[in-house]
Amino acid sequence: MTDQSLEGVPPIRAARLPLRGIALGVAALIALYVLPDALSNYWLRTFISAAALTIASLSVSVLFAQVGMVSLAQFGLLGVGGWFALRISHGLGVPFEIALLSAGVSAALVGLIVGLPALRMRGLYLAIITLMMAGAIQVLISAFGFPDGGPGILGKSTGARLMMARPLIAQGDGAYLRYAIVVTVLCYLLVLAHVRGRPGRAWAMIRRSEVCALAGGVDIVAYKVWAFALAGFLAGVAGAVLAGGVGQLDGSAFPASQSIMLFALTIVGGAYSWFGPIIAGLMLRAFPALLNDFRVDGNIATMVFGIGLLHALITAPHGIAGQLSDLAGRLRRAVGGERKAGP
Amino acid sequence: MIEIDDLTVQFGGVRGLSALTARLPEPVTGLVGPNGAGKTTLINVLSGFVRPTTGRVGIDGQDLSDIAIHKRAAFGIRRTFQNEQVVENLTAADNINAILDNVPTDGQPRAALIAQALEFVGLAAKGNVLGRDLNAYQRRMLEIARAMVGRPRLIMMDEPGAGLAQHESEHLRDVIRRLHGHCGAQVLLVDHDVDLISATCTATLVLDFGSAIAYGATASVLAEPKVRAAYLGVLEDAT
Repeated sequence: MTDQSLEGVPPIRAARLPLRGIALGVAALIALYVLPDALSNYWLRTFISAAALTIASLSVSVLFAQVGMVSLAQFGLLGVGGWFALRISHGLGVPFEIALLSAGVSAALVGLIVGLPALRMRGLYLAIITLMMAGAIQVLISAFGFPDGGPGILGKSTGARLMMARPLIAQGDGAYLRYAIVVTVLCYLLVLAHVRGRPGRAWAMIRRSEVCALAGGVDIVAYKVWAFALAGFLAGVAGAVLAGGVGQLDGSAFPASQSIMLFALTIVGGAYSWFGPIIAGLMLRAFPALLNDFRVDGNIATMVFGIGLLHALITAPHGIAGQLSDLAGRLRRAVGGERKAGP
Repeated sequence: MIEIDDLTVQFGGVRGLSALTARLPEPVTGLVGPNGAGKTTLINVLSGFVRPTTGRVGIDGQDLSDIAIHKRAAFGIRRTFQNEQVVENLTAADNINAILDNVPTDGQPRAALIAQALEFVGLAAKGNVLGRDLNAYQRRMLEIARAMVGRPRLIMMDEPGAGLAQHESEHLRDVIRRLHGHCGAQVLLVDHDVDLISATCTATLVLDFGSAIAYGATASVLAEPKVRAAYLGVLEDAT
């Protein structure tokens, strides 16, 4: 052994993870009980969208941080999920939860198709192929639009557009925000169950290298497909949450460029950290709204995001979340140092 | 026993292995030869990364061409890599757990199997340390721990001794010598370090230009003039 001095170091994992879980739980509880009552209608709707975009960013980070794959189609899949949620909700009048789940499942199936090239391609080529898929979804959505209570398979009404039915327990904006946050937490738990379990270990091996995974007996095809299906499911759920929040979706709101924006901001927020997607969701929706509130054009946000991306690529590979936890670590050490120095 | 029959591997115009036939029954077998002799190619054929152009390889009478690459770990073919492949964002224990996901555990509790493997390679205190925080030597030992869990039949090590300090190298020898007795797997060891090979391997196969030029008890094989000529670059007349 080269460093005998480290032998007695206590296990790291047991000490850290509960803290993280408690922090997450406390943050979620505060968000659930305090936020909705304190917010105006405008901000309620903004945070509902931010919750949906957090789930979408989570789907990007599952692929990128866990498996090492770049998908630029996730915002398109959000549109797919939104389409199916609206279609099923208007067409069958089912409870919101059923529409939510079927949106997830249908986007997972489309996500699976998006992921098929991933079995043969990597890196830039995979990114370009998935971007083309996002483009294809954009063309379909802008050609056919979203269902809004009309007849037929497409469900386009010629008269007044109907709103999507919200969950029975969450009709108002405040209640729906709470509902959206609970859905977000459930999505996080779903991802956590994967990462802690067998799929997470297999993904980590694939990310290390494919020879490593093969020599360890990992069925690379199955686990890559599973990752794309899970990411598609999350994006679909995000689409349904968004559709339920706004009540209807705009056919022009799902260009392929939004998929790139979603990916870029997931990197800026910090794909490797659990709160990176939350930062990304807030930046995508709350930050432009904040600028609007200050009577500054919200589109300036795009320029800020560009600068943020450059900053992330050059100095902060783990994004804002990584910088925050570095800062927290430094503070903890500073506080710990003071304590030691004291009596 | 490793059975290699008339094995040829062609990479375009280059012949990695050329009609190689061998039977390797010893518990710890060395595989030596100059650079480009086909040592790593042979390991890659056994792992399934390289498909033989002609010929076959088998373990204990089972033809390996029938076993898909990702099923070979469960069958019992394990390896370490020349460039170590420890997963950096998993702990040492989870690195082993990731293998246990895909290999038979015979109903034994995983925690016990992991603790046993870490103990065997001298990493008992490192179970909760992330792969990225292990040093080069600990990573090599962790790779061996990953290879030895869950009923292995053949453990192949590609230059495990490269870049190790003297006392680390001695510990590695000790681990390799005890490995067969501990888990019952046959060990195939590729290394340029003749001392390591002589200290651990009962038999040695010498490759040159993709063919076997000698096989037998390690000491006598390494003393053969044609082996010294191929391996040390000494002219046969001169020795």
